[in-house]
Amino acid sequence: MKDERDEKLDLWLQQRAVTPASPDLTQRIILQAQRVPQRKSVSLWQSVRDLFAEFHLPKPAYVLAGALAIGLVIGFSTPQYNETSANDVVAAQNFLSADETVL
Amino acid sequence: MATAWPEKDDNELLSLIQNGSSQAFSTLVERHTERFYRLAYRYLQSREAAEDVVQEAFIKLWENPGLWQPARNSKFTTWFYRIVVNLCLDLRKRKPLAPLDDGTQLIDEREPIDESMIRAQEQKMLEKEIAALPERQRMALNLCFGEGLTNQEAAEIMGLNLKALQSLIMRAKTTLKTRLKSIL
Repeated sequence: MKDERDEKLDLWLQQRAVTPASPDLTQRIILQAQRVPQRKSVSLWQSVRDLFAEFHLPKPAYVLAGALAIGLVIGFSTPQYNETSANDVVAAQNFLSADETVL
Repeated sequence: MATAWPEKDDNELLSLIQNGSSQAFSTLVERHTERFYRLAYRYLQSREAAEDVVQEAFIKLWENPGLWQPARNSKFTTWFYRIVVNLCLDLRKRKPLAPLDDGTQLIDEREPIDESMIRAQEQKMLEKEIAALPERQRMALNLCFGEGLTNQEAAEIMGLNLKALQSLIMRAKTTLKTRLKSIL
């Protein structure tokens, strides 16, 4: 429980005097800030975008790059397997097994 | 200079500052300089040092507004108090507080003693004893009594849990009561 001394001390602590700040403190801070450049924190995504923004490609280059990309997609999506290559594999296996019998 | 955007809250101003708005920065400085100065002054007991600390804290914010992350920090003032507190502690480490005059020398006994003189003397003695407290006890007292913050807010600013802060305040007050026994 708080006694009289506690209350008096609390009151003193709350009423401690403060010498007022200079009247121009706020203006000094604002003026000082005007002389200091801001440092921007750049995110990873932003830095990637900035990096790509450095490459200025003309429109035909985009068309060419697009055509190449489509070509690659079509090329990779075409099945590799055909009958001729299957026959070749069988022939090679026969040849190898023939060699093994001799040895 | 008239304050621009008085209707905007701190978070709105901070996001404008992050976009480079010096007007938003001015508004924030005008709104909060006084309160942060008070805290720094109570701790440092020097107007020049307190002004330097507040200026340094605001310039840090302006230079690097990305330091403020609304998702991570609860409230601007709580976060900024922490910056001011750290700057005060750093300054004190570099430049320890000069011992204050003994308050008992203030009263000239030939002069008639009035209430305000007694009050001034008590104030001086209190400041002297507060200055002699350990750093963290002093800061805890300043935050809880000078700034009217809740214990929870003060604990958050000092990076302590509530119990640790309450213990700091209790120890500080016990020491003060013992040392100021003659005038309390």
